[in-house]
Amino acid sequence: MSQALVQSVQLIFSGDRILYQIIGVTLEMTLLSSFLALLLGVPVGTWLGISRFRGRKILVIIDRAFMGLPPVVCGLFCYLLFSGVGPLRGLHLLYTVTGMVIAQVMLLLPMAVGMQESHTNTLAPAIRETSFGLGLGKMQMLALTINESRYHIISTYLFLLGRAMAEVGAVSIVGGAIMFKTNVMTTAIMNYTSMGNFTTALALGIILLIIGLLLNIFVALIQWTAEK
Amino acid sequence: MIIPALKKTYRDKTVLDIPETAIRDGSITAVCGRNGSGKSTLARILAGVIKDDSGTSLALSGHTGYMCQASLPFRLSVRKNLLLNADKNCSKEENQQRANRLLEEIGLQEYAKKNAARLSGGQTQRMALARVLMKSYDLLILDEPTASMDQAAIPAAEKLILDYQKRTGCTILLITHSPEQAERLADQVLLLDEGKIVSLSASVDEVLAR
Repeated sequence: MSQALVQSVQLIFSGDRILYQIIGVTLEMTLLSSFLALLLGVPVGTWLGISRFRGRKILVIIDRAFMGLPPVVCGLFCYLLFSGVGPLRGLHLLYTVTGMVIAQVMLLLPMAVGMQESHTNTLAPAIRETSFGLGLGKMQMLALTINESRYHIISTYLFLLGRAMAEVGAVSIVGGAIMFKTNVMTTAIMNYTSMGNFTTALALGIILLIIGLLLNIFVALIQWTAEK
Repeated sequence: MIIPALKKTYRDKTVLDIPETAIRDGSITAVCGRNGSGKSTLARILAGVIKDDSGTSLALSGHTGYMCQASLPFRLSVRKNLLLNADKNCSKEENQQRANRLLEEIGLQEYAKKNAARLSGGQTQRMALARVLMKSYDLLILDEPTASMDQAAIPAAEKLILDYQKRTGCTILLITHSPEQAERLADQVLLLDEGKIVSLSASVDEVLAR
């Protein structure tokens, strides 16, 4: 363990091109996918949370079921979509970062929707009644609800970021863990472990934790500043 | 103004069952009664927030305003909260002036730029009252508009309601727990008990006697 700690520090400052490339792809994939999932999920979740229509509960149950979607199943589904026999083969997304981002968004989107829905569902009666009394339109009510839950949205983003960073099943199937192209921290850890290079794998794990910690501190700072 | 016959049942319990009732146009009618007498249910049905058992929706028209019991302060400045209810027939400047005047009259001018979510309960209710009074309505429903205010703030709020009624001539339905408030503000009193109208009287004293 201590050897891994020393090696992780050495790796960070070694100027290792492979490591920096892996960190770069990891950051690109996690930041983009978590942000896109949030961008799409928050309005949908808010709408589900504040609306009352026939079939709403069924949609919520379906969403909650997809929150537990195994990443490898999502990866397999995307693989079949993007592969040579899939309907999206023409887009050449297999073994690309874009393909990995799409797979991650598919995994994270139900979580973003579900978390926002359950949060706004508790706010909904007061917001709906107040908005109704003021004769506000549905879009205005949606915007106000999103504004009301902005601190929760930041927490949701942190959760999505953590999930995206820790994910390995879908990205390894869709990305293929190709060196200098689609290899991310988790797939690299998996590769080094399977090669028996446990020290490097552990060192990469520690670096991944540090990156996660730094991103969380950064987002928490934004949250605290917003609260002030 | 005619309040149609309304009935509302929650799980076999009838919380409101009233016949068609006429209230005077351009008056302030206080709706009084004990807890659970159906006052807020009546307000919510009339505002269109909920439907009565027949499913008739009395959805709010542009001419009806409603301040609910737990009016929410949106996470915007106090002034922006008021401007959410800006009168579309007035210019931006007129609405700004109106918001400033209302804030001054309700004693919140120094909080105009403050986040409304950080106001106290009483201040929030003052803000909510000023917010709903931004527009002119034919019918305004106020559900316990001063319930969270401290005693010192109530006279200004009541004056605001009276001035608004005089200026716009609108019909106001004031849900209140306080017979004293009904006496101070209302032209007539609708007394509810267990969801039924006990009396609709022109005289507040008569109701107080009951």
